[in-house]
Amino acid sequence: RRRARARSGTRPCGLRELEVRVSELGLGYTSDETVLFRYCAGACEAAARVYDLGLRRLRQRRRVRKERVRAQPCCRPTAYEDEVSFLDVHSRYHTVHELSARECACV
Amino acid sequence: MILANAFCLFFFLEETLRSLASPSSLQGPELHGWRPPVDCVRANELCAAESNCSSRYRTLRQCLAGRDRNTMLANKECQAALEVLQESPLYDCRCKRGMKKELQCLQIYWSIHLGLTEGEEFYEASPYEPVTSRLSDIFRLASIFSGTGADPAVSAKSNHCLDAAKACNLNENCKKLRSSYISICNREICNRRKCHKALRQFFDRVPSEYTYRMLFCSCQDPGCAERRRQTILPSCSYEDKDKPNCLDLRSVCRTDHLCRSRLADFHANCRASYQTLTSCPADNYQACLGSYAGMIGFDMTPNYVDSSLTGIVVSPWCSCRGSGNMEEECEKFLRDFTENPCLLLSLPQEQGLKANSSKELSMCFTELTTNIIPGSNKVIRPNSGSRRARSSATLTAVSFLILKLAL
Repeated sequence: RRRARARSGTRPCGLRELEVRVSELGLGYTSDETVLFRYCAGACEAAARVYDLGLRRLRQRRRVRKERVRAQPCCRPTAYEDEVSFLDVHSRYHTVHELSARECACV
Repeated sequence: MILANAFCLFFFLEETLRSLASPSSLQGPELHGWRPPVDCVRANELCAAESNCSSRYRTLRQCLAGRDRNTMLANKECQAALEVLQESPLYDCRCKRGMKKELQCLQIYWSIHLGLTEGEEFYEASPYEPVTSRLSDIFRLASIFSGTGADPAVSAKSNHCLDAAKACNLNENCKKLRSSYISICNREICNRRKCHKALRQFFDRVPSEYTYRMLFCSCQDPGCAERRRQTILPSCSYEDKDKPNCLDLRSVCRTDHLCRSRLADFHANCRASYQTLTSCPADNYQACLGSYAGMIGFDMTPNYVDSSLTGIVVSPWCSCRGSGNMEEECEKFLRDFTENPCLLLSLPQEQGLKANSSKELSMCFTELTTNIIPGSNKVIRPNSGSRRARSSATLTAVSFLILKLAL
C-alpha cells in the first residue's frame, strides 16, 4: 500500500477526468446522463515554500496549537467550468455551476 | 439477420452512389452554363469593383425598392439594369449556412430576388448553396437510423437519445453551447428571443454529427421520445399561449431575411418529390434534415408534436384555424411539415413498429417488411393521415429495393 502511495506521489498535481452518471454524484439529481467530471489530484511536495517549513516548525514547537493549520500545499482547482446542463428522468432540465475543475495548482 | 443488414447496407450504398452522382445534375438547370458558385458577399465585391455593374446594381435596387414588379418592368432603365445584372455574378450568387457575414450575404441576395420573385409565391428558391452530402455523412446517418448497426438485441435496450446527450457532454464545444442554450431557455421567465438565439448558435456552431444525433435519435420507449421532444426546450422555444395561423406565421417569418431564407431552404430540400424514389429532392436526406434543423431558433421553429412512438409528427407552432378562404393554401403549407413523405422518411424510422415485431430483425428490415408482408398489418395502426403518407412513402422505397434486387 505504501508503494502505491509512493507511486502516486510521483505524479504531480494536475487535472484528471472521469465519465460519471449525474446520479452517481449524489447531488440529488436523478438523471442518466453522463458528464465529464474533471478533478485535481497529485503530489504537491515540490511546491512547498519557506512558509510551509516555518509553519511546520512552529507547530512542532507548539507555538501554533489551537487552530487547524495546513503546513503543506494542497492540489486544488484554481478555476472551474462555468456550467453543465442535463435533463433528468422527470424531463426537467438542470444547470449546475462549477461542477468540474478547469485548472489545478498547488496552493 | 445477415440478409437484413445486407438490405440496409445495400440501400445506403445506393444512396451514396446517387449523392455522389448528383451534384452536377443538381445545379444544372439553375446555372446558365457552368459557373462555380460565388457567395453574394464576394459577388458584391466583384460588382463594386466594376463601374458598370455597380451603377446598374444601384439602379436595380432603387427600382426594386418600391417592390412593385410591374412598375419596375415597365421602366426601361430598370429593364436595362436587370439585363446587365443577369450576366453578373450577383445574379446567381448563393450563401452558405453559418458562413461569416451570413446576414449580409442574405441581404444582398434578397435585395435582388425579393422584387423579382414577387414575394408572394408559395415556394421560394433557396438562397443557400445546395448541400452535397459526403460519403461519411451518409454512413453516419445510416448508423443513426439503424441503431449503430451493432447487435440488435443490445441496441434495442439502449436509448439513442441518451447516448447522443452523452456524446455531446463529452465534447467540450457541444457541451458548452448545449449548456448555454439550456440555461437560457430554462429560466423561470422564458425570454424567447434569447432562447432562440442560443439555439441558433448551438445548431450553427456545433458539428452536425452531434446536433443531428440529438435531434433525430431513434427511440423504442416513451422516455426516450420525450427526451427527443425536449431537446429544444419546447416550453420556451416552441409553445406559446395561443397558436397563430400558419400563413400569418409565414408572413412574420418572411419579414426576416434569415427566417425567410431558412424556410425557403426547407422547401427546396424537403419538398416531397414524385420524381425520386425516396420522395426527397435528389434523394438527399441529409439536406432535408439540415434545412429542418436550420429553422430551429426562428419564428418557424418546428418540433415533434408529442412523444408518441406510433408515428412521428413534426410541425411549427401554428394551425389552420381562421384561414378564411386561404384554408387550402394553409393546409398545403402545414402538410409540408406534418405529412411530408420526404421529411418523414428522413426522420428516425423504427418507432412503434419495432415494439410490435420480432426483435431479431434489424430495424431497417422491420420497417420495410411490415409494410409489404400481408398479415403483419396488425403493426400498422390505422390512425392519422401522416401514418398513411409515411407508409406509402415507405412502399415507394420498398418497390425501389425490390426493383434493384430483381436486376
